[in-house]
Amino acid sequence: MVFPLLSLIIFTPVAGAAVLMFLRSDDAVRWTALAVTILDLALCIAMLASFNTTTHEMQFTERRLWVPTLGITYALGIDGISALFVFLTALLGSICVLASWVAIDRKLKEFMVSLLTMQALMLGVFCALDLFLFYVFWEAMLIPMYLIIGVWGGEGRVYAAFKFFLYTLAGSLLFLIGVIVLYFNGGETFDILALTAQDLPFPVQSWLFFAFLIAFAVKVPMVPVHTWLPDAHVQAPTAGSIILAGVLLKMGAYGFLRFSLPMLPEASVYYSTLMLSLSALAIVYGGLLALAQDDLKKLVAYSSISHMGFVTLGIFALNLRGLEGGILQMFNHGVTTGALFLFVGLIYERTHTRSIADYGGLMKAAPVYTAFLALFTLSSMALPGTNSFVGELLVLSGGFAANLAVGAPAVFGALLGAAYLLGMYRKVALGPASVGARFKIRDVNAREMAAIVPLAVFVVWVGLYPKPFLNIIDVSVKHLLAQVHDKGSGQ
Amino acid sequence: MTAAALFQSALASLPEIVVITGACILLILGQLVRKGQEHFLVWASVAAVLIAALATLILSSEVRPAYTGMFIADRFAVFFKFVFYLATILTFLLSRKYADIEGIGSSEYYVLLLFSLSGMMIMASATDLLSIYVGLELMVLCTYVLTGFLRRERRSNEAALKYVILGAVSTGIFLYGVSLMYGLTGTTQLDGMAAAVTSDPLDPGLLLAVVFIVAGLVFKVGAVPFHMWVPDVYEGAPTTITAFMSVGPKAAGFAVILRVFLNPLVAASDVWIIVAVIAVVTMALGSFVALVQDNFKRLLAYSSIAHAGFALFGVVAGGADGIASVMLYLLIYSLMNLGIFATVIMMRNGNFSGEVIEDYSGFAKSRPGLALLMLLYLFSLAGIPPTAGFFAKFYVLVALVERGFVMLAVIAVLLSAVAAYFYIRIVMVIYMREPERTFDPALTPSVRATLAFTALGTIGIGLFPAWFLRLAQNSVFGG
Repeated sequence: MVFPLLSLIIFTPVAGAAVLMFLRSDDAVRWTALAVTILDLALCIAMLASFNTTTHEMQFTERRLWVPTLGITYALGIDGISALFVFLTALLGSICVLASWVAIDRKLKEFMVSLLTMQALMLGVFCALDLFLFYVFWEAMLIPMYLIIGVWGGEGRVYAAFKFFLYTLAGSLLFLIGVIVLYFNGGETFDILALTAQDLPFPVQSWLFFAFLIAFAVKVPMVPVHTWLPDAHVQAPTAGSIILAGVLLKMGAYGFLRFSLPMLPEASVYYSTLMLSLSALAIVYGGLLALAQDDLKKLVAYSSISHMGFVTLGIFALNLRGLEGGILQMFNHGVTTGALFLFVGLIYERTHTRSIADYGGLMKAAPVYTAFLALFTLSSMALPGTNSFVGELLVLSGGFAANLAVGAPAVFGALLGAAYLLGMYRKVALGPASVGARFKIRDVNAREMAAIVPLAVFVVWVGLYPKPFLNIIDVSVKHLLAQVHDKGSGQ
Repeated sequence: MTAAALFQSALASLPEIVVITGACILLILGQLVRKGQEHFLVWASVAAVLIAALATLILSSEVRPAYTGMFIADRFAVFFKFVFYLATILTFLLSRKYADIEGIGSSEYYVLLLFSLSGMMIMASATDLLSIYVGLELMVLCTYVLTGFLRRERRSNEAALKYVILGAVSTGIFLYGVSLMYGLTGTTQLDGMAAAVTSDPLDPGLLLAVVFIVAGLVFKVGAVPFHMWVPDVYEGAPTTITAFMSVGPKAAGFAVILRVFLNPLVAASDVWIIVAVIAVVTMALGSFVALVQDNFKRLLAYSSIAHAGFALFGVVAGGADGIASVMLYLLIYSLMNLGIFATVIMMRNGNFSGEVIEDYSGFAKSRPGLALLMLLYLFSLAGIPPTAGFFAKFYVLVALVERGFVMLAVIAVLLSAVAAYFYIRIVMVIYMREPERTFDPALTPSVRATLAFTALGTIGIGLFPAWFLRLAQNSVFGG
């Protein structure tokens, strides 16, 4: 019996949530939640330390029978691709707790319980090696996320929570049918690895591709099923936005990587042009929408759509640079956009306005805040030396290699990114201090620094020395690519 | 019939005999019980059901046909009987305080519930159209009276009257179908019918007979187009009886539907198309109309229509998995639905009715524990994992896809996404509104026990469905 490290990583937050229910004082709740998330992060780092980067095989695997008559197992395991996201989820988990320290002013205990439950489910999604188990984690996330947006959100929270819930539910229910069809076509098993080894006929692959696409596209989100995202992001509390942008959006892309590409290779190759076009559309459309926003949070939300377009572009370029860039960009987007939402949250706590027009000259009032904001803004627009530059460069070179026609709009989208991000920064940080007249701005304190610094470290680290990160995913990506092209070229 | 055969038959129907005898004894004892001692009635009724359950369990080791082919005690019947026991006992537990508040705590209330239980048990075991009819009538006659038990309330009287008239018509239709069937095949036994027919199974007379029988049965489970009684009756009846009806008689109706529809004769006659259409329309109507309900009981009525539609999809699928999926669905539905009804029943305290959804505004603020339970039941009803409601739906979908009904499966999930909306709307009211009043739920120990049991079942079956799944699969008839 191998030590069940992954189960431990998944169920530590659950145990923490159970403990929280019995605590009475808010301070105890805060510190316990923080301790639990840090412990979880430490476990993930221990996992990465013993992670073998020379094999594409699943590692730390666990397998127990769950519902034997239907071939459902409780199977966990990670390869290079999932390892990166397990780590990202755990990292953002503790940052979410720090971001909610004082921002959540009522029912703090219930909030932290939801947050920890959410973290456990997200970790489960990335570790599951059984489709049924995956679906249970994937769908169960709706419950805590619905509450996080709906109970602790802004003024339009109820509407946003409903929209989020129904959009995702409708998408994933079709995915469920796809899963069941796959089950009967793939030899009555839910084992992801066994299903990956199957060779399905093209028409079946085609149908399944679209059933999966609906679910994953809603989560990513891809244009035109993106409309839940601005509402959910704007209304969610800061920690909710960080989870949404940092991890939830990655799950759609992860779905493509784990299911669509290896299980439906012929369909993935056949429909790659469609996917590339949709990605390019998302990049440009998201960028244009972001350009027109006055609300800080909305701007970051629309920029997410654009950035996730780069991710799907890289994935469906179906070449090494594209895929590695796409996956790295998923990680980068989690760090950078998570940080930007954190920054919007920090300033909102102080001023209670998110309208860009209300700000100006923040640099004088809060120099440390604006300095870090500059770093993350530059990272978001992929300035060389920051993390996104590496990812976006790989994606673009992979994209151009795959299809010249979609490369051009993607570059235009990157330019748009510079336009709206720099515009935002200029209006908020520079210029005359319009805010000082009305608000007294306090610069970041030690707790806030503790949330910011780890993210800043990753921005610079990935930007200057991306090798360790690419190393983790490299072998798995090559294996994935071999799977796609071996089977997909039969088309 | 020889003495030995009679003894065997009596043995096979021992649980039914226990329940009926218990009901008769209670009828007499009820006159002797002094005021303030009504809790004795509850415990005596629970004891009667438990004895019957014990008898069922002991006799379940083998299949026992009885009464010259009109009755059978097989595993299929045992499974359903346990669902009925569960529903009845939990109803008894919920009734104690509620009956006091409403002033309906007479012994007849418990006696009628027991007689209704025996009717359902006969339905589950019946293998002849006539014994089905006997069980059906025994069950519904009791529920007619129970519906009108709030004598001083107009709503209750109206509901009972409506139920009686519509119920009588549907029974008439059913009987007409039976008579046609007898005319065509010369028998009313389910097994005999298929053997007796040599002609084309699409014979119009036969089809007519089947359609009439279908219509009569579908009425009992509240499927479209025979659903009109459901909202009014559910709203008007005492809430405990509504809870009971939404679970017990519905499951009994499905037990009969499974036995009749999956009979080789009916299965060969393309009735599945009719059932499929009924299932789709039922689920659509239940889901869409529930969206605009403000009364909790009415909403649950439409929700139960929608769930009946979903379970009918399992009937359409047919086969061993189809039957097992319906059985598992009904078991899980009973638990979660009784759970949510328990929360509605406990809100009825003093002058507060707790029937309007808005009454629950901000419930989570003052009663976080109870609110969490409601959250659990509601998400389970909506079919979100890891609750049992998800697994119930999942297995029906598996059965559908296995038979190649992928389109039906897609329709089913899209409609259940619609249905999810009104469940999470209640969650929204509970969690995202500010409280307007203080809450004083009638939380007696027996209500607490019901809540704990149903919650445990709802989450337990959701996390560990394997044992229950195997139980349902092993209980499919013939097995």
